[in-house]
Amino acid sequence: METLFTRPVASCCRRLASSATRTPRPAVVLPQPPARGKATAARARRSLNIPPHPSFLNSSKTADGSSQPTEEIIYNPPESAASVYHTPVKFLPSSDPRRRANLAEILAASQPASSSSPSSSSSSSTQPSVESFPMLSKTAPALKPRHHLTKEDIEEMRRLRAEDPATNSVAALARRFDCSQLFVLMCCQAPKEHREKMKAVEEKYKARWGPRRRAAREERARRNVMLYNGEI
Amino acid sequence: MKRLRLDQWTGQLLLARPGAASVSASAPRAVLRSTTPLSRCAAVRCQSTAAAASPSIPAQGTPEDEYIDGTDHARFPPLENLPPRATSMPSPPPSRALESAKLAALHARLALPEKLPLQTLARALVDASADPSPDFNNSTLAFVGQSLIHYHVGEYLMCRYPRLPMDILYAAMKGYAGHTTLHHVARSWGVEHAAAPGGEVDPGLLQFSMHKPGDAITGFGYQRAELKYLRKYNWRHSISSRIVFDDDFGEIVDPEAQRETLGRRTDTQYGDAFTRSLAERAYANCTRAVVGALYTHAGREPAKAFVRAHILSRHLDLSQLFAFKKPAKELSLLCAREDFEPPVARLLSETGRLSRTPVFVVGIFSGKDKLGEAAGPSLEHARAKAAMNALKSWYLYSPGEHVRVPSDMLAEEAKPWEPVHIDVGEIIGR
Repeated sequence: METLFTRPVASCCRRLASSATRTPRPAVVLPQPPARGKATAARARRSLNIPPHPSFLNSSKTADGSSQPTEEIIYNPPESAASVYHTPVKFLPSSDPRRRANLAEILAASQPASSSSPSSSSSSSTQPSVESFPMLSKTAPALKPRHHLTKEDIEEMRRLRAEDPATNSVAALARRFDCSQLFVLMCCQAPKEHREKMKAVEEKYKARWGPRRRAAREERARRNVMLYNGEI
Repeated sequence: MKRLRLDQWTGQLLLARPGAASVSASAPRAVLRSTTPLSRCAAVRCQSTAAAASPSIPAQGTPEDEYIDGTDHARFPPLENLPPRATSMPSPPPSRALESAKLAALHARLALPEKLPLQTLARALVDASADPSPDFNNSTLAFVGQSLIHYHVGEYLMCRYPRLPMDILYAAMKGYAGHTTLHHVARSWGVEHAAAPGGEVDPGLLQFSMHKPGDAITGFGYQRAELKYLRKYNWRHSISSRIVFDDDFGEIVDPEAQRETLGRRTDTQYGDAFTRSLAERAYANCTRAVVGALYTHAGREPAKAFVRAHILSRHLDLSQLFAFKKPAKELSLLCAREDFEPPVARLLSETGRLSRTPVFVVGIFSGKDKLGEAAGPSLEHARAKAAMNALKSWYLYSPGEHVRVPSDMLAEEAKPWEPVHIDVGEIIGR
């Protein structure tokens, strides 16, 4: 699975970093941030003068260790988004032969590096685990829906919303019944006069927008439409 | 450096042939027709532009085998001798097909088999609006060809992309076998059209009329009982009802509207979008008719190979056809249905968060597996895009490039059929 999505850059960076530790020149060390604030132009130029990436050098070595320039094709494509025609293994149906073909790799990747060879352990150590990437939402999604609300609860929710929609807002009801706001919206609808009142309030706010804010909002809406149509 | 005086150049060119210009272009046609002596022999109007302006020239008073188009036949002798009464026919007689160089060239260029005679190919180039008689126009051949093309495109899409939603499948059908595509196919074959149809036109040219309404070829589908209200109240028609009632592109079958559209030909202007669509339709019908003619004369396998070579070989990027409303919700529904862990969006990398043009790379994970990844200028955009990419990679699953289709089994000594992947269905109703 992981082999599908790893980019060659990780290994290249590793190679560069290891070569940097071997060579005495300190300018090659990668973690150093790009020098923007040097005192003189000459120093800035010198600090930015890093050697090309090893994959761009003719580094094919002969048997006696001396490197000779040879003719070869350098293939080092830039990073790009994965093609949607490349189906993730999880999405393959169980009858698909690609599942069986990748089975050994998946097992090797999922098992801890204790029993494997040092080379594979080094590769798995450079692979950051999924949990190391921060989640966008605050809470992890529930594995299973809880179904903790009964029919009486939902009727109570509807009654509260119909009685006093201002106090019992969607967010308040979601907090009170410990469910998502989407669920509250699915269960009940505010009375019509309340909806009209809220709409009038919204219109009042919109009327106060100046030309800049209005244009920015309209542009944002248009960009959203383009996003969902796959145009940007 | 001297200035270039373009206006003077034009003047020189105009001065070069004063007589020619006044005779051919500037004189009004009515005057010219009355002054030129009537010739006894008719001519082929190969490149004639005069024909476009006056499609119904043969007058009642003149004999039928002579043709008056304002050409000085003494000066420009006819290139070929027409059979008698040829000019009064709506389309060229089949016997002239053997003499047309354009037709033979088209036959050779398409590598059509010997079994397909030139006369049938000539008939495939006559649209129903040019010749209303179904014995001489291509409407019957086009119907056969349309059925064949739709069958092969449909089975290819269903076996190659078994998870395509129905509306995307309709759009893909139209992308492969719609009017516009088949028009481009015919254009790429080098088919050209005559300015106006007629018996004296070279049979190697596509002939259709902008003024006479022809018959539209009938497709499959049912006319809905509630058709009137669909138009009047803009009723919603679901995908399921489209599968049952509508035609192969999921469009409502409405013969009256079609007839009305074709009837509008009579008062059409040249050069607008409607005229272009009429021409596209004629070209598309020509492509269908060639496929139908091939099937009629050479059989099933050559017709299938022809459709594969000329229509299915075209590149259509299906991932461009998708549009979503709530991709994140759709993806979580998919994961719930397939018993995957719920999808989680994670930030993979970012740059320039506080700058004017930040880039965020967001991946969507289910458990430890990445389902999709995308870069965007904001977290929300990147997340929605990643969800859309994940959904696209679900929908665009393909068992392989060279999947077998059911029509492969019609060949002799075919290997036993292995069942293709059939998906359980769409995630949400659209």
